[in-house]
Amino acid sequence: MNLADELLYTVYPYLCLTVFVVGHAYRYVTDRFGWNARSSEFLEKKSLWAGSTLFHWGMLGTLGGHAGGLLIPQAWFDRVGFDARAHMAVAYWSGLAVGIAALAGVLLLLRRRLTDRRVRAAGSMNDRVTLGALTLVIAVGLFNVVFGHYNVLDTLAPWIRGIVTFTPEAALMGPVPVSYKVHVLTALALLAYSPFSRLVHIWSAPVTYFVRAPLVFRRRVPEA
Amino acid sequence: MKIKAQMTMVLNLDKCLGCHTCSIPCKNVWTNRRGAEYMWFNNVETKPGIGYPKQWEDQTRHRGGWRLKNGRLALAAGGRLHKGLNIFHNPHLPVIDDYYEPWTYDYEKLVGSPERRHQPSIRPRSQVTGENLRLTWGPNWEDDLAGLTETGPGDPNFRGLEARAFMEFRNVFMFWLPRLCEHCLNPACVASCPSGALYKREEDGIVLVDQERCRGWRYCVSGCPYKKVYFNWESGRAEKCLFCYPRVEAGQTTLCAHSCVGRIRYVGVLLVDAERVPGAAAALADADVYPAQLETILDPHDPEVERAAAAAGIPAHVREAARRSPVYPLMKTWRLALPLHPEFRTLPMVWYVPPLSPLGPLAEEAQGAAVVDRLRIPVAYLANLLTAGDEAPVRLALKRLWALRRHMRAQRLGEPPDQAALESVGLDPGQAAAMYRLLALAPHGERFVVPTAAGGPLADAHTAQGRCGFPAAAGPTPEGD
Repeated sequence: MNLADELLYTVYPYLCLTVFVVGHAYRYVTDRFGWNARSSEFLEKKSLWAGSTLFHWGMLGTLGGHAGGLLIPQAWFDRVGFDARAHMAVAYWSGLAVGIAALAGVLLLLRRRLTDRRVRAAGSMNDRVTLGALTLVIAVGLFNVVFGHYNVLDTLAPWIRGIVTFTPEAALMGPVPVSYKVHVLTALALLAYSPFSRLVHIWSAPVTYFVRAPLVFRRRVPEA
Repeated sequence: MKIKAQMTMVLNLDKCLGCHTCSIPCKNVWTNRRGAEYMWFNNVETKPGIGYPKQWEDQTRHRGGWRLKNGRLALAAGGRLHKGLNIFHNPHLPVIDDYYEPWTYDYEKLVGSPERRHQPSIRPRSQVTGENLRLTWGPNWEDDLAGLTETGPGDPNFRGLEARAFMEFRNVFMFWLPRLCEHCLNPACVASCPSGALYKREEDGIVLVDQERCRGWRYCVSGCPYKKVYFNWESGRAEKCLFCYPRVEAGQTTLCAHSCVGRIRYVGVLLVDAERVPGAAAALADADVYPAQLETILDPHDPEVERAAAAAGIPAHVREAARRSPVYPLMKTWRLALPLHPEFRTLPMVWYVPPLSPLGPLAEEAQGAAVVDRLRIPVAYLANLLTAGDEAPVRLALKRLWALRRHMRAQRLGEPPDQAALESVGLDPGQAAAMYRLLALAPHGERFVVPTAAGGPLADAHTAQGRCGFPAAAGPTPEGD
């Protein structure tokens, strides 16, 4: 067992995930007022349309793809006749589509954030760091889709499942190409950073809006 | 019958002198912060004009409020599915240029200037970017009809009228329209909020934004047809008029009403039948909404209403305030006050007494015509503003104001009273005297009847403030920032 691997693929992920979980709880308790999307549409609307729409739908697809492809063992897919070859093909084409959308979107957003005078003035360093980190993770991810052609189903995917199920196996990451490792490590760093950024708005997806009564009434003094 | 108490305001436009005094204490207390510089919870618009933000009344552009869809009430901007699909980019959100980019001046340059041959001068500087700004639009840009020929035709209240004719000097007319949040009975902002952060208070009907639940989705801003919910671009969340609830809870009136130089504002409590609200909002024709809304307002002197209100848990002092309410006779008994754009179907609760105006240039030609048709401000314009185009209620209000004037004038000059004029608009001398007192003489205590909050002061008011609409860490904008 390699110490460096152990540090990078067991200690570091859990460190990041701990910060991720505790960080969100801490932020929610101490900074409810700051917990929002920090939208800048009010300051600039036209170029936001393409950027935000592409980025968000692309990211939703990307996250869904990662969850479905990496967290569900290939053995389960095999049982329903969906073999690794087909799985990789689906992953390639769908990943290409949502990855290009997300990358195009994030680049449009980055350009807008750096060049629009109002958005730049109203934005914070935190916003720029968040967007820069997203760009890096997405770009490396898309690079892997286009140029990687590496079968992650037997190495990377079981490693992730090991992390999630608290049975980490750092050795699984040994044969994984560098560009994939970079993607994993930067994505983990982004996860650790996210509770302290505007990304917390992901957890406020307004699902209850679809079921609640249109009008909300509240008492000033709650009834005893 | 399900009775709720509702804080209500009436503004007598016949007496508004357009001084903007109402806006100033409101601004100084509530929106003097970074990100809020452009917000005016209360502003005064000159009519005709496109207003603030630009063309807020034109719902073909802004898609605020409600509309009837297959006989059922629906948000004009689209329902839940539409919002879910457009959550990443609100297509109907106005941008800062629709309001104006706030600016300040580098006063240091004046104060610190060394002695020179020429006077030092300063340039406007954006409060968003800090860069110099070339001003092409701002708050009250249209004040007192400035630029009418440019913006006037964009005023939707000219519907059915030849707008251009009223741009000519001999036909021109104007009046002021002070605006604040309507604290609607059927608020579209509340229904538009994906987070459920906006709410209407059970006790007094005030509509507030829970600052700790607002996630900045911005649908309240576009959903409000009056454009009275604002987006704070610094904090990234919505803010709106609070009806000065910290004052109202203590039995004081709002800052805008208290400071009004012309004493045009009346604040009081109404007892409203909540069960009739959905039906009124979904009235078949736009012009039916106002009469239907009138039906939701209950007579506080009716013993049956009194019993039901007590049973609904409305405290005795609130019921007592409802009986002394100055807004009830203005809205219901005398029908002088009318809602603003009832066709938006939010059932607004800030109403307006339409203004009389000098006799227009057509006065001589139309000697035989009724006085209201000879006023400079066309009745049709006021009807588009206040009653969804139905002229009858506007005519009645204007005729009553006119008859009251003639009656009081005769009394003042020692002439025989013109009973016929009063009777022709359904008033008797006793009612006229009461109207005159409330419209012309009423002191502070009669114009503002505000009961203290039901339930008394909150023990943890400081903690609760974020949930009631203003940020906990709010401080004034530093000088020169």
